[in-house]
Amino acid sequence: MSIEISNVTKRFGDFVALDDVSVSLPTGQLTALLGPSGGGKSTLLRIVAGLEKADTGRVTIEGVDATRMSPQKRNVGFVFQHYAVFKHMSVAKNVAFGLEIRRKNKDEVRARVDELLKLVHLTQFADRLPSQLSGGQRQRMALARALAVQPKVLLLDEPFGALDAKVRKELREWLRRLHDEVPVTTVFVTHDQEEAMEVADEIVVINDGRIEQVGRPDQLYDRPANDFVMGFLGDVTQLGEVRLRPHDIEIALTPDLAGSVPGDVLRLTRIGFEVRLVVGTEDGREVSVVTTRAHARSLELDAGDRVWITPSSGASTVPAMKSLLAG
Amino acid sequence: MTTAVLSQDTRTVGRGRPGVRSTLTRGSALGLGVALLWFSLLVLIPLAAIVATAGGEGLRGYVDTLTNPQSWAAIKLTVGQSLLVTGINVVMGPIIAWVLVRDRFWGRGLLDLVIDIPFAMPTIVAGLVLLGLYGPQSPLGINVSNSRPSVALALAFVTLPFIVRTVQPVLGELEADVEEAAASLGAGRLTILRRIVLPAIVPAIAAGAALSFARAISEYGTLVLISGSLPYKTEAVSVRVLSFIEGGDRTSAAALASIMLGVALAVIIALDVVQRRVARRG
Repeated sequence: MSIEISNVTKRFGDFVALDDVSVSLPTGQLTALLGPSGGGKSTLLRIVAGLEKADTGRVTIEGVDATRMSPQKRNVGFVFQHYAVFKHMSVAKNVAFGLEIRRKNKDEVRARVDELLKLVHLTQFADRLPSQLSGGQRQRMALARALAVQPKVLLLDEPFGALDAKVRKELREWLRRLHDEVPVTTVFVTHDQEEAMEVADEIVVINDGRIEQVGRPDQLYDRPANDFVMGFLGDVTQLGEVRLRPHDIEIALTPDLAGSVPGDVLRLTRIGFEVRLVVGTEDGREVSVVTTRAHARSLELDAGDRVWITPSSGASTVPAMKSLLAG
Repeated sequence: MTTAVLSQDTRTVGRGRPGVRSTLTRGSALGLGVALLWFSLLVLIPLAAIVATAGGEGLRGYVDTLTNPQSWAAIKLTVGQSLLVTGINVVMGPIIAWVLVRDRFWGRGLLDLVIDIPFAMPTIVAGLVLLGLYGPQSPLGINVSNSRPSVALALAFVTLPFIVRTVQPVLGELEADVEEAAASLGAGRLTILRRIVLPAIVPAIAAGAALSFARAISEYGTLVLISGSLPYKTEAVSVRVLSFIEGGDRTSAAALASIMLGVALAVIIALDVVQRRVARRG
């Protein structure tokens, strides 16, 4: 295991950011720390980098106890949400910074910077100032700068959070490819479950200073440990006493299936290839159902129709909690 | 539709240098006119008048002034002490600004407020305050009046806020994550200060230094009281100019004034050059 975090607690005044957190992050993989804002995931990342000190607990990086090590000595690459560029230095100088500090000779630095700029596709921008780059380009520069010193682990704190949706999508695909090319152990923080599922090998779900679940993306989606994980990783609705995903509900015009519940189609929305329905059941609940356009067309569904709904076989469900009754 | 296209055409056929298209509309042309007129009345014409008066007797006015040992001593004193005090401010200003921006302590708000007092109070009052504390009746037993250190003291007092106030907002806007990024790349505190923080605040230090120097060479009120204005010893240029005028020697006063004008310009340009060079080097 590359990064070993054991029993880490961190308080800011009365606020408990991390509450006795223990987790192992595997070597060579891309791990996402996923959770809502203020849940403690950035704090955990900053503790691994040494930018924040844990009140109690231990952090081990590649077998070395780093708990009391300064950020300078940890040899981690850190990428910030708002790029943290050195404004007065050219792109090449930014990337070279860590190497120059280590007093590498000039030819070596130049060769390494060239190599990295090529890797992040910024070769032709080497002599520009960061202010002349777009947000996406700045973040790629920041990534090259962090990789320049050949860190043992690469930590990214909401790296695409400040970018617009299209660039964000491009960059996350690019990060995945980059990681396959340069397989350094990478941990990134995100609150976007789609980003985590698309990019990460493994996801650590953090909420309220605690770890809710650790697993591969499909494990978390298909077998969520609890209501929170289920709700955070995708849409959820409630049918009877269980909570499940809207696309895991079968819809029929007759009560043929065992355990089916009758209801009326209250609303019907077509979005691309899928059709979203809201079905009002007799106990007064509104249940969300997602089905394909083809299926909805074959049933000739429309608002006001009486339907019977059933959890489909193999649907992942969790028992409903009282506080989360609204579907 | 047609009229819109036509009016657009007439606008693009503007004259002037190719490549440099003026952005002046009728409104902003009027604004520029008013600004230039106001600036001319207040600054350009009086300055030109000074130079004209000084040059009334050809170069002789300048030569006489510079060869007059008493005037020369006043110039040396004023420029020398102003440079010294600006140098002190270049060191002290950023330190005070750093403390005000980065540290949290009891009384910080008060200190922040008090910094401006030397700048805000009438200079003669400042002179009185300094005389009370460091004059012949000093409660501290330190008497610097009528000596060279009194000139430096008075100038340091009135120019204290300049660099603090120019550096403070720039330091405040420096993002913490930039320094953290440098730290995680292996940079120690000194390296971060030298390669990240300093280049970012050098333009502000230079701007503050220019203001501080300009204020120092023009200071009058504070100096009159505490320095005693002894010829050859503690007489500043401003005092010398006044005594020329009181003696009816307008030409010498104007010559001395325009020499100081030249000195001020030279220092401001020099600081600008320094600032550009340092900011670029990184």
